[in-house]
Amino acid sequence: MVALTLRLCALVASLAAMASISALAQVDRTAAETRIKAAFLYKFSAFVEWPGRAFAGPESPFTIGVIGADELAADLEQIVKGRTVLERAVVVRRMRRGESVEGIQMLFIGQAEGARLTEILASAKGQSVLTVTESEDALSHGSMINFVSVDDKVRFDVALPQAERGALRISARLLAVARKVLTSS
Amino acid sequence: MKRLIAGFSVRQKLLAVVLLTTLTALLVAIAVMVGFDLRNYRQSLISDMTTQADLLGRTTAPALTFDDSRVAQENLELLRYRPQIRAAAIYNARGKIFASYSNQDGRELPKLPEADGTRIEGNNLVLFKRIVDNREILGTVYLRADYELYDRLVGYLGIAVIVAALAMLVAYVLSRQLQHIITNPLLAIAEVAREVTEKRTFSLRAPKLSKDEIGMLAESFNTMLAEIERATRDLEASNEVLGREIAEHNRAEREIFRLNAELEQRVKERTAQLEYTNAELEAFCYSVSHDLRAPLRAIDGFGQALMEDFPKDVPQEAQRYLSRIRSSTQRMGQLIEDLLNLSRVSRSSLERGDADVSELARQVVNDLQIRDPQRKVDISVWDGMRANADSRLLQAALENLIGNAWKFSAKTDKPRIEIGSLSDDGRAVFYVRDNGAGFDMAYANKLFGAFQRLHSGNEYQGTGIGLATVQRIVHRHGGRIWADAKPGKGAAFYFTLESGGVENASRDMAEART
Repeated sequence: MVALTLRLCALVASLAAMASISALAQVDRTAAETRIKAAFLYKFSAFVEWPGRAFAGPESPFTIGVIGADELAADLEQIVKGRTVLERAVVVRRMRRGESVEGIQMLFIGQAEGARLTEILASAKGQSVLTVTESEDALSHGSMINFVSVDDKVRFDVALPQAERGALRISARLLAVARKVLTSS
Repeated sequence: MKRLIAGFSVRQKLLAVVLLTTLTALLVAIAVMVGFDLRNYRQSLISDMTTQADLLGRTTAPALTFDDSRVAQENLELLRYRPQIRAAAIYNARGKIFASYSNQDGRELPKLPEADGTRIEGNNLVLFKRIVDNREILGTVYLRADYELYDRLVGYLGIAVIVAALAMLVAYVLSRQLQHIITNPLLAIAEVAREVTEKRTFSLRAPKLSKDEIGMLAESFNTMLAEIERATRDLEASNEVLGREIAEHNRAEREIFRLNAELEQRVKERTAQLEYTNAELEAFCYSVSHDLRAPLRAIDGFGQALMEDFPKDVPQEAQRYLSRIRSSTQRMGQLIEDLLNLSRVSRSSLERGDADVSELARQVVNDLQIRDPQRKVDISVWDGMRANADSRLLQAALENLIGNAWKFSAKTDKPRIEIGSLSDDGRAVFYVRDNGAGFDMAYANKLFGAFQRLHSGNEYQGTGIGLATVQRIVHRHGGRIWADAKPGKGAAFYFTLESGGVENASRDMAEART
């Protein structure tokens, strides 16, 4: 999967280099970026520890909620097909605005939500839900992981205090590859 | 090598043994230690590198996961704290180099990752290790580290040479200092042994300088010396005794020799005397016999003249006396004749030649038959009997033997006489056998004596000199004669005419006695 991602990435990069910025290229680039983000989203699950109370029961699936990013949801659904997280089935739930975050372990809030971002983040505040965003300054609004683009590459920042409030433990190994890590101090 | 060592002195041998042993032990110890160390080094290097690769893989896994080669690069850069690691690289899952590190070594990184494992490449240890996270292969770690086996080996060899040289030096000095503990007692013994061999002074003794086997050797050597000394003394004493005995023996032998010579001389003298006396006696006998014949003939002649010339004047009675005188004189004449014959046999020289025994016997038989034609005697003489003998003497012997047979078979029904020969050990034995009166073997010893008669003159006429003559003839030929007989069953006389001498003569006596 990574290989595929990387290949796509490389393809995108070469395409970008060859052709001038065109609408088509822009669309392709965004699609690739979305795909990479979906893959990263799934991979985050391996570097985060959820408390037991985050799940309703032992049989409960690992649920990833997606708001305002349908393309990404579609990509993610493809990625998680047949895979498990913490030995649980993985379910992608496309969420509407105002929907409860109950039974969700990871929540991705797309850029499309814009101004409602703060609201949605507030609803998840204090819950054991790993919130991932792709908006500038999202961390300051209570997001735990925020995707950023650096040199046309998808990177991410991590805010530890928010995660700690949600009783989530983010692996130092993840932090090692994060662009920025915000700590309580 | 062995021959070379054999030429060494004990000191040198000891030294060589000590040095060789030391060197061998040292080399074995060093070899084992080096081998062990190198094996350890290799194992620890491999395990170290494997750990390093594991660690690297683990720390790089998130970077690979989130495609952050910068972080991976940072991770690899940390390896500069381990100058031993010459190069490192992280390959992504597609086999592309994701991050790399090189310690100014100029060698290229492998284009593609290989399967998990370690291998030695000259001076380098090369390691590939898959990065697996969450059951997903994320990439591969490549490490290349210095593998200083040869450097180490060279270093060890240097140390080994120095240590060996030092140890040999110490061993040399120490063994030179200490070997006299072993060699001195040995050399002392050797010195004594040399002196004993050279001067043959067995009274020397080896000093016992230690209580070990060499001490025992010295003791045994001394005991041996004492033994030799004693044995030598004994030998000298016994030699002296023996010498005396030999001198005594020689003296006795000389005495015996002298006595023998004296005895021989005496025997010779006696023999000469005896021979002289014998010759004188025989001459006397001959002359007496010879001289006696003339008066005897006169007595006989005048007796005959008296009877013939005065037949009427001499009365009948006197006539009878006269005839008895005459027969007595004739008998005496015969006796004298026989004695002369015997004497002649002794005196005449022996002239050997090829004698035809059969022919001689036939002549004798013929004479007898002519003299007494009335007698019918069955006589057989074997053909072809020959002997190397004096024919004249042999004829005389045969005359006597055949004459005896003729005479003593006179009163037998069918008289038979056989003259033949048989072979005894290749030597001819002649015999004359008859079936006449025979005789008792108890008197056999008297047979050949002169004037010995087994039968009275009335029965058979004879002078008793015949067989004595025969024996003398046989003896003069060097042969021997013996008889076999039984009263009334005839007699057989056997004789040989060849060598025999004293032994045969004594056998004659022995046989004659039985």
